[in-house]
Amino acid sequence: MSGPKLRIDQLSRWFETRTGEVVEALRGISLDIEEGEFVSIVGASGCGKTTLLRIVDGLIAPSAGQVLLNGRRIAGPGPDRSFVFQQDSLFPWRTVMDNVLFGLEVQGRLNGQARQVAEEMVHLVGLDGFERAYPHELSGGMRQRVNLARALAVDPEVLLMDEPFASLDAQTREIMQSELLRIWNARRKTVLFITHQIDEAIYLADRAIIFTVRPGRVRETLSIDLPRPRSLDVKLSPAFVNKVGYVWRQIEAEVRQSMGVAS
Amino acid sequence: MTVRTAGAVEVGAGVVAPPKARQRGFYQRNVSRLRAIQSIAAVLVLWELAGRYLITNKLFFVPLSAVAGSFGQLWAKGELQVHIWTSTQEFVYGFFLSSVVGVALGLGMAVSRPLRDYLDPWVSLLYSTPLVALAPLFILWFKLGIESKVAVIFLLVLFPVLLNTYVGILGTERHLIETARSFGAKPVHIFTKVMLPSALPVIVTGLRLGLARGLVGVVVAELFGAKAGLGYLILLSAQTFDTAGLFVGVVILAGSGVLGVELLKAVERRMAPWRQVEVQD
Repeated sequence: MSGPKLRIDQLSRWFETRTGEVVEALRGISLDIEEGEFVSIVGASGCGKTTLLRIVDGLIAPSAGQVLLNGRRIAGPGPDRSFVFQQDSLFPWRTVMDNVLFGLEVQGRLNGQARQVAEEMVHLVGLDGFERAYPHELSGGMRQRVNLARALAVDPEVLLMDEPFASLDAQTREIMQSELLRIWNARRKTVLFITHQIDEAIYLADRAIIFTVRPGRVRETLSIDLPRPRSLDVKLSPAFVNKVGYVWRQIEAEVRQSMGVAS
Repeated sequence: MTVRTAGAVEVGAGVVAPPKARQRGFYQRNVSRLRAIQSIAAVLVLWELAGRYLITNKLFFVPLSAVAGSFGQLWAKGELQVHIWTSTQEFVYGFFLSSVVGVALGLGMAVSRPLRDYLDPWVSLLYSTPLVALAPLFILWFKLGIESKVAVIFLLVLFPVLLNTYVGILGTERHLIETARSFGAKPVHIFTKVMLPSALPVIVTGLRLGLARGLVGVVVAELFGAKAGLGYLILLSAQTFDTAGLFVGVVILAGSGVLGVELLKAVERRMAPWRQVEVQD
């Protein structure tokens, strides 16, 4: 079958507030993502990027338009997509191992292989020896590793990541970015990654998509042709720095406009 | 002028390293517990002294030794065992029946909107009513037997258990529910694998609050009419001016209360080590 892995087609979403006002979050988003591609969406807060991700996951429905996965319309959450949340979304009463097994468990796939798969994932994210630890015993960075392992354990076709490193300190965040690339390199999932951090969006992705502010629209699509595998040193290269500067000017213009400040 | 903390070790050329870790002694490790024991021991000694030298009228107050003596006598006569056994039975039936019904109703109210709407006014009304006031009525209805006491204990335990169950389920973190949904969890899975484990420590808190209220229920129900039991012992002792006997009843009730509450607290800590907040009544 040809065609993109994931097609977002003329997608719009608006919300009605309690007072009856209509708030437009997304307007006419169209986006094709190829199999195995790493796409990041970068935009200022309030550009509706999380809303987009939640629609793709099937947690909320679009107001107009549609999302197609392998040509089939998405109607709700499914085992073919995994969501990595921004907040701490591990179950505090479950060990690392049992958290990683959660997806397989509720999808009725808790067979003899499941435990082996989960162990593999724990190993992949570098948490060997922590299988029986509880989330409150882990650091923020380790908890996000578990989060990633849990998302990968169900072997999804698409990984949806909503600012997974936003709550980490700067150094841990950098390390986790390079870890994510290492893991992605091993699994080559299709990834839709959302962030407000420009260097993160460029460092990770094959394509970075810049969103406008309220309502969110695609402002520009930027191909990131930096060679892979990328080490963190890439961030020091002129090509990288140029791209960051370029994206920053785009987003700055957006934010200034939304704040009513002249550039 | 340089500063040097006591115990610092010179490692050469004026460079100073911190001292080696000291082994903390038994006292330092258990300081809070030891202080609690000290405090209790001091009050017991004060009790004895006050009973002997300060308030010598045996009608108002008796020394600890007299309470212990009375305990021994009542035990030797086999009377105390009957009181303890009677109250234990009443409490166990009332508490367990109420726990089961309270948890069930709490869960029902949490998951069913209509049930919540119908029950909510009654729960609000009855929770703020001093239900012990109904004890005389129950004695009339169920006579002096165990049923009337079980009914009083049942009612007193019910509401803290019910409300904590309900609040526990509704208090489940929204993003945990959403996480489960994103993995394709069905509603029944969200209930059993997310809401229930999340609420369990809160439910145990409800049981702990219910336990304390249940003990009040035992005494009050027996005060209004009984043939045996610790509340009855207290009432009887008061009527016969046997202050030592009265204290025997009070001390046993206090001891069981502390034991039960500490037990459930330990269960809470074990079940939810990530939960730091202490819930108060």
